[in-house]
Amino acid sequence: MNETAIGTEALTKTYSSIHAVGGINLNVPRGAIYGFLGRNGAGKTTTIKMLLGLTRPTAGAAHVLGMDVSIERMAILQRTGFVSEKKDLYPSLTPSELVRFSRGFYPTWSDSAVEKYARILEIPMKQRFEKLSNGNQTKVWLLLALSQGADLLILDEPTTALDPVSVDQLLHVLAEDGLDRGCTIFFSSHQLEEVERVAEYVGVIENGKLLLESRLDDIKSEFRLITAAGNSLPAQTSSQVLSVVVEGNFYRYVITKDADGFAAGLSQNGAAITNIAPLSLREIFLQLVRKEQ
Amino acid sequence: MYFWKCWRDTRSFFVVFLIIAAIVMPVAAMVCLGTHLVADFGTSAFSATFGLIIMAVALGLGAIGAIHEFAENTAHFLFTKPRSRSYFVWAGWAVGFAELLAVATVNFVAGWLTLSRYSKNPFHSALFGPMPAHTLLDPLIFCLWAYCLTYSLTILLHNGLKGLGASLGILFGFPLFAVAIRWRWHIDLPFPPNSIGSLPLAISSIIWILVAMLFVLAAQLVVERTEI
Repeated sequence: MNETAIGTEALTKTYSSIHAVGGINLNVPRGAIYGFLGRNGAGKTTTIKMLLGLTRPTAGAAHVLGMDVSIERMAILQRTGFVSEKKDLYPSLTPSELVRFSRGFYPTWSDSAVEKYARILEIPMKQRFEKLSNGNQTKVWLLLALSQGADLLILDEPTTALDPVSVDQLLHVLAEDGLDRGCTIFFSSHQLEEVERVAEYVGVIENGKLLLESRLDDIKSEFRLITAAGNSLPAQTSSQVLSVVVEGNFYRYVITKDADGFAAGLSQNGAAITNIAPLSLREIFLQLVRKEQ
Repeated sequence: MYFWKCWRDTRSFFVVFLIIAAIVMPVAAMVCLGTHLVADFGTSAFSATFGLIIMAVALGLGAIGAIHEFAENTAHFLFTKPRSRSYFVWAGWAVGFAELLAVATVNFVAGWLTLSRYSKNPFHSALFGPMPAHTLLDPLIFCLWAYCLTYSLTILLHNGLKGLGASLGILFGFPLFAVAIRWRWHIDLPFPPNSIGSLPLAISSIIWILVAMLFVLAAQLVVERTEI
């Protein structure tokens, strides 16, 4: 059995002269929660659209649940729940009617899940969709995706318009129920704290390029901020040195791997290492994006 | 599922016209009670109302029943359901077509029953003689054509009103264009439900139905290739 829930090879999407996605190679392990991070317009939604067959790639290939997106789209959609970035649904239908509409498409649909998530997420099931608040509209999308018994959930900015309590409920549901069922969860966001809270793997995309993809724990254990004092210390970036900020005699290095070895090298150059500190996901993300810019 | 949604979108329009189709002839006959109007003109009036009612239904259902996912920004919801896009195009078409046939059938039955009360031979006018079958078949084929055209244009233009407007433009504009061509170059352009060249009417009718289906097929191909 293929252990990759989502795999892409040089997946590319070009709109006339704009490279929305520039040849990314994603590897999302089965059963994992994967946070797909990026700024607005970074290429997250375009990537997701290609994974779901809503948009055709200009080049490259994508496999979802071991199936080729260009060939087995129906089988993929049968096993994939989706929450769109745009939360529009049929305005005159109530959530109950949207459930009725969606139920017949999925053999694995669970009415008990509908009841459970409607209660947890506090969704007014008899109110027309157009009359719901933005937060409740987002919750309806989540309800429909969670109730179809999917093997893979693709959630594009799922916490948009949700209040902190609802975000907390959602993250709890994803982390507990999703993983209990062995479901893979791929969600895009720029809410870094949310991703840091539940994701096991993260990928960072900027300008259509995948800047980083790894297990979150590995990233957090490898990335370090080294502050050193000295004269004429190296100030170039490299694969190991993500960024260097020089303030007088103080150098602040963001290191992607082997921080101790790098610090030892600086010491040999006469530097005094004043601090080696771990970085939060937010700091790592900002450093990656700034470097790309 | 999707058939239910299509029914839900069109049911109000459908029910209103179903009621109109059911009562128009009985009500007209009641108004004319005690006169010879029904016996003399009932058949002609029936064929005229039959054409008008199903034409209105065809145009309305074509505009209302077509998929509106692009205009409503719901394409990303519908087209991530595990069905092909062609399924959605043809499911919507089938629901509208069934409703069109239902209205036509109810109107026909109501007309037949009403006229039966006044004559042993309901489709035989005292003044104009028997009503030939194509008097009802021709409007039916033309309305099927108009329905498919409106349905396809609504999908292609992403808007019911635009689809209806474009369809009316073609339905009314083409005959005028054909007249101009005939007047200037003496060429007869075919237009439904008329015969195509020297072909028998039955063959021409089949061709017109196939052309109507081609409109829907064209809309399907466009929808399948549209990037969301």
